[in-house]
Amino acid sequence: MRMPPFELHTPNSLDEALSLAGDLQQSNQDFDWVAGGTDLLPNYKWHLNAKPHVISLAGVPELSELSETHIGAMVRLQDLADSEVVHPLVAKASSMVASVMIRRSGTVGGNICLDTRCFWFNQSEEWRESIEWCYKCDCGTGADCRVIPNQNTQCVATYQADLAPVLMCLGATIHLAGPSQSRSMPLTEFFELDGITRNALAPGELVTHLTLPDDVSEWRGDYQKLRQRESWDFPEAGVAVLWKSGSDGSPSDLRVATTGLESIPGFHSAEAIAALAGWSGGSSVDELAEAVRKAVKPVLNTWYPPSYRRKMVKVLTKRASSGLLEV
Amino acid sequence: MSEDKDRVDGYRQQSGKLPFSRPGSGGSRKMSEPRDEDTLASIRGGGGHKHDDLVTGSAVGRPTALIDGRWKVTGQAQYGDDVRLSGELIGRIVRSKHHYARVLSIDVSAAIELPGVVAVATGQDASGRFGVLPVTKDEHAMAQEKVRHVGDLIACVAATDEATAREAVRLVEVEYEELEAVHDMRQGLEDSDEPIHDRGKYHIGASNVQKRVFQEFGDIEGMSTNAVVSHNSNWLFAGANHGFTEPHAVVANWDPSGRLTLYTPQQVPHYVHRALADVLDIPMHQINVHRTFVGGGFGGKSDPFPHEMCAAILSRKTGRPVRINFDREEVFWVNRGRHPSRIEMNLHADSEGRLCGIETDALIDGGAFASFGHVTTYYNGVLHTAPYEIGAFHYTGARVWTNKPASGAMRGHGAVNSRCAVEVGMDDLAEQLSVDPIALRLANLLPPHSATITGFRVTSIGMRECLERVREASGWDDKFRKLPDGHGIGIGCGFFISGSGLPIHWEPNKFPHATVHLKIDMDGGVTVHTGAAEIGQGSDTVIAQSVAEVLGLPLDMIRIRSRETDTSPVDLGSYSSRVTFMNANAAISAAMGIRQELLEAAAALTEAPVERLVIGDRRIYRKDDPAVGVSYLEALHKAQEDKGALVSSGAYRTPPMGRVHKGAGAGIAPAYSFSAYVAEVKVDIETGQTKVLKVWAAHDCGKALNPLAVKGQIIGSCHMGLGQVLSEEMKYSRNGHLINPDLLDYKIPTIHEMPEIVPIIVESNDSEGPFGAKEAGEGPLLPILPAVCNAVYDAVGIRTSELPITPDRVHRMIEARCKQEGVAPLDLSSPELHHSELQGVLEARASEHASRDAARASDPSPSDYNNGALFGFDPEIPADEQDERWVVSVTPGSDYMESPRLAGSAWKHTERRHRGDS
Repeated sequence: MRMPPFELHTPNSLDEALSLAGDLQQSNQDFDWVAGGTDLLPNYKWHLNAKPHVISLAGVPELSELSETHIGAMVRLQDLADSEVVHPLVAKASSMVASVMIRRSGTVGGNICLDTRCFWFNQSEEWRESIEWCYKCDCGTGADCRVIPNQNTQCVATYQADLAPVLMCLGATIHLAGPSQSRSMPLTEFFELDGITRNALAPGELVTHLTLPDDVSEWRGDYQKLRQRESWDFPEAGVAVLWKSGSDGSPSDLRVATTGLESIPGFHSAEAIAALAGWSGGSSVDELAEAVRKAVKPVLNTWYPPSYRRKMVKVLTKRASSGLLEV
Repeated sequence: MSEDKDRVDGYRQQSGKLPFSRPGSGGSRKMSEPRDEDTLASIRGGGGHKHDDLVTGSAVGRPTALIDGRWKVTGQAQYGDDVRLSGELIGRIVRSKHHYARVLSIDVSAAIELPGVVAVATGQDASGRFGVLPVTKDEHAMAQEKVRHVGDLIACVAATDEATAREAVRLVEVEYEELEAVHDMRQGLEDSDEPIHDRGKYHIGASNVQKRVFQEFGDIEGMSTNAVVSHNSNWLFAGANHGFTEPHAVVANWDPSGRLTLYTPQQVPHYVHRALADVLDIPMHQINVHRTFVGGGFGGKSDPFPHEMCAAILSRKTGRPVRINFDREEVFWVNRGRHPSRIEMNLHADSEGRLCGIETDALIDGGAFASFGHVTTYYNGVLHTAPYEIGAFHYTGARVWTNKPASGAMRGHGAVNSRCAVEVGMDDLAEQLSVDPIALRLANLLPPHSATITGFRVTSIGMRECLERVREASGWDDKFRKLPDGHGIGIGCGFFISGSGLPIHWEPNKFPHATVHLKIDMDGGVTVHTGAAEIGQGSDTVIAQSVAEVLGLPLDMIRIRSRETDTSPVDLGSYSSRVTFMNANAAISAAMGIRQELLEAAAALTEAPVERLVIGDRRIYRKDDPAVGVSYLEALHKAQEDKGALVSSGAYRTPPMGRVHKGAGAGIAPAYSFSAYVAEVKVDIETGQTKVLKVWAAHDCGKALNPLAVKGQIIGSCHMGLGQVLSEEMKYSRNGHLINPDLLDYKIPTIHEMPEIVPIIVESNDSEGPFGAKEAGEGPLLPILPAVCNAVYDAVGIRTSELPITPDRVHRMIEARCKQEGVAPLDLSSPELHHSELQGVLEARASEHASRDAARASDPSPSDYNNGALFGFDPEIPADEQDERWVVSVTPGSDYMESPRLAGSAWKHTERRHRGDS
C-alpha cells in the first residue's frame, strides 16, 4: 500500500497553520489537516478521498494544553488516558481507544473528527473498483450507496469514535478556528447527520480544543464499549451514561450518549429526561435502556450485525447505569 | 604393534606438522578394570526404542532455543521482502475486478508507455498449467481465458519503482464478459452452464464438483438399530486464513549463466521448483529455489503460487531481478486457508456406551482452484476414524469450486472442522447417556498398535494418558457441570497424521520421502544438507539436534544448509507435519553412517572392537572401560586419512501400510499424534461474549526432541484454534465480495484474548519415530475448538453448530433457549449431570482397557488388533472378514442415492467419460 503523493506543510504556530489553510483555500487547492495520522494516513493508503495538500499540526504548540476543563485538540489519547487531571470517565474512554501504540500517536481532535467507517468504504482502491465504488468515495462516478441502495441522499457510514459520548454528556463545548474566524458550539451540536459531511467544520476550519463546564467533577457514570477484541477494535456500539446524584441518592440530572451506531454520535436527551421524570430505580433504568435501543438505527456496515448491536445498546445502557442503582 | 599405547598410526607426530593439536586421551587399561556390559544395558531400561543405542545425551530431549533464533531477534534474518539484488525491478499484479468473467482483451499499451515501466506480461507469456497436486493442475501464472475470483491474476508489470508499477497496473485496460458466478457452496453441487473449470473427460457432470468421496465401513445397517442415543448436527464453518505475519514476497533473478534463482518464503521449495519448470518450460536443473526465512506458513505457503511464476516471467523478459511483495489484501486473494464447510455429523452410541456409528457428510467450499483439495476432501472424513473404536463409519464428502479465493491446506489440514463436530457430538452423547464425557472417551479408545476401521495402521497412542493428565490438571471432576452459571469447562480430543504416508509425486518405493546429506571436514563441524523447510517451527533445530545426538556433539558444531534446491536433496518440505518424523529419521540414518566410520577409526586407534565403542561428549570410548578412547577429532582425522571429508547420506521412506480400496492412501501415516484439551470459559449471558480463561493442553508427540518447541507449538496452536472458534472468519457480502481482507476486520485474537495455556507433553515413544518422536505442529490445534464449544455448553447450555462463535451468534442461541424455556437470560440454568448406571460400566471398561493398552505399548511384538474387537470380533482379523454385515464400500449404491445427504448428492452426477456422450 502506498499513499498517493501530496505536499506536506508543517506550520509552527496556529496562526501560520490557519494562514496556510487560507492560502490553499484561496487558490482552490484541497487539503486535509493531519494530527496523529492514525485515521487519515491508512485512508490515504487506501486512496480514500486523498488530497494534494496536507497540513500537519504536529509542530503547532498551542493545541496541546490539558486541564480538567480544557482539552487541547493535539493532546495524545494515551496522555489523556494517563492524565490525573481530567474527568476519570474521559480518561477511561480514551484508554479504550484502539491500542496503546495508536493512542500514543492519535489525538483528541483526531478522535472527535474521526472519519466515518463502512466495510464498503474502508477498502483498497482495487477492492472498491470491484464493487464499482460507493457513494462516500465515488471517484467521480456518482456511485450508489452499497449499504442501502438507491438512496444517494445520505451516507450511512458509521461514526466509531470513543470520546464523543462521554464529552457530550459532560457538556463539552468544542472550539473551532478557521482562516477568517473562530467559533464555539456545544459538542452536541457539532455533528451533522451524514457520513460524508459528518460535522460542522467548514472548509479550512479545525478543532482547537474542547472546554468542559465548571461542574464537570460532579458528574459520575460509566462508558461501555462493545467490540470483539479488547484491543484495536473500533466500537461496534458505545454508551455513556452520566448523572449527578441528588440528595436522596436518586439522580438529579441524567445524560446518555451513544457512538458506533450511526453516522454521528447520538445524544439522547429526550430519553434521559423521560427516565429522570418518574425516577424509580431499576425499572427506570430498564425503560431508559429500552428507549435508547429504540432510538438508534445501526445499519449493516461494521463487524457485528445491526440487530445484535441494537440489542446490545440496551445491555450497555443498563451496565453503564449500574452505578445509579448502588445506594 | 599394540604394546605402545602412545603411538598413533596414520600420521607422523612431528612438531608443527600436525593438522590440529593432538586431542584427547588415548586411554589406558591401567586406569580401570573392564565392566560388565550386561549391567550397563539393564541400567538403560527395558522395552526401549531402536534408536536407544544412538542416544548420547547431547541434544535430544532438552529444551533448546531454536538455532536460527538469534538471526531473527537481531533483525538479521532475511525474509522474502529483505532480499535486495542490484538493479531490481518491482513487479505488481493486475487483478480481476469480477468474480467470474471471460477476459476478452487486455490492452497494455498505455502501461508500457509509462516511463519507468520495463515489461508487462500476460497469460500469453506462459500458458503452462500447474497445481500442487499432479492430478489437479488447474492454475496458470495469469488468466488464459477466464478469471475465477476477484483478485485472480490477469497480467503483471515490472517497473523501476513501486509507485510506477502501481500506476502501470491502473493503466492496463481489461475487457471482460461477465459470467454467472457461484458463491454458495451448495450451488456448486448443481449443473452449471459454465463450470468454473473443465476437467475434460474426468469432469463430474456439468457441475462444479471438484472431488467427491464416498466411504462405508463397518456395520452400516446396524448403526441406527443398535443405537440407544444419537447426536445429529448440521455445522456451518466459516473460512479461515492462516494470518501469518509475513505477506508473500518473491524475488526472481536469471543469473549470467542462464539459470533462474527464485527467492521465496516457501514451505515446499520442491513443488515450486517443479511448477516453475512446467510453466517456464525449462528443465528443473536450470532453476535454483532459494527458500528465504519464512515469516509463518501454516500451510499457506505450501502451494506453488502464480505470483512466483510472474516474478520469473518478468525477470526473464527484462533480464533483471524482479521483486513482488504482497499487500495483506493480496494474501487474502491467494488465500489457501481453511475451507468454509457445511458438515452434517451424526454419532450413534449403543446401550454399552460404544460408538456404534459415525456418519459424516462434508461439503467443502474450495474456492476457485483445486490446491490440496483432493486430499482435504478425504481428510474431512478419514481423520476421525480414530482415536475411538467405532462400529460403523459412513462418510460422504464433496469439494466444489466457487468464485472465491482458493481454499487449501491450513494447520490441521481437513481434520479441524469435522473433528470439532465429532467431539461436540461426543459431548452430546455423554449428556444423553448421563455419563462423564471423559469416561465415555476413555472407554472407547483404540489400543496401541491397532488398525482403524478404514485400515490405518496406528502405532503408538498416548490418548489415554492425555485424557487422564488434563482431567487431573484441570480439576475436571470438581468442575464439570459444577461451575457457577456462565462458567463452563469442556473437553476435546484430536488425532492427526505425523507425515503423509504417500509422497504426491511418486510411489513411496520409487524415491524416499526425505533424504539428508552430511559432510564433515577437518574442522570437525558437521554440515547438514536437507530440504526440510524451516518455517519457524524449529525444523533446522530438530535436525541439528538429531545429528548432534547421534554423533555426541554439541549443537553449535552442527551447521544446517536447508535453503537452496541446488545444494539440498529433494525434499517434500514442511507440510503434513512430516519434518520431525521423516527428516529427523533421515538425518539419524545419515549420522549413523558417519558414526560407523568414526567408530571404525576409533577402533583402529584403540584396538577395541567396534561393537564395544560408544560415542560420548566429543569422545569415543570403550563402553566397558571409558578410560580407553580417543577424542572425536582424533577419530575423525583417522577416518579422513584415505578420503578426506566424510560424507554420508540417509533417507527415510514409509513402510507399506493401509488397505487397498480406492482412497485407502489418504490419511495413512507412519504414526499419528493424539491430544486432549480442557478449556475453561466464561460466557457473558447478556452479550454472548465468550472469554476463554484457561486451557490445559496435553499432546502426545511420542518424544519431545525439543520440549521448548513442542510447548511453543501447543501454545501457538491454541492461539490459532481460538481464533477460528472465537472470531476469525472470512466474511463475504451479499454479492460475494470478501469484506474483510485486512487484519483489522479479520479478527485474530490479541494477547488480551489469550488465556493461560498449560502445555502438557505426553510421550508415547513411537516405535518408528526418531528417538520415539511424532508430530507436534498441527495436531495440537484440533482439540481447542471443540473444548471451547463444549465448555460454552457447560456454561450456558447452548450447543453451537456454527463457527466462529462470535457474540452475536451465541446471543442468538441464548435468546432462542430463553424463548423456548420462557425465562430471562440471567435466569437460565446451566446443564447438570447425574450419572446413570452406564457410568460405572464405562469406568470398569476404561480401567480394563488401561491395562490392555499398557501391556500392548510395552510389548515388542504385539498381536494384531483391528477396529471391531470392542464389538465382539476377533481382534486379529478385520471385522469385515468375519461378518458380512460389516461392509467396505467406496461407491454409493442406488439405495443411498434415493435420498443422499448434501455432499453425497455430488454422486448424482456421472463423470463425463462414463456418460458416453463425449
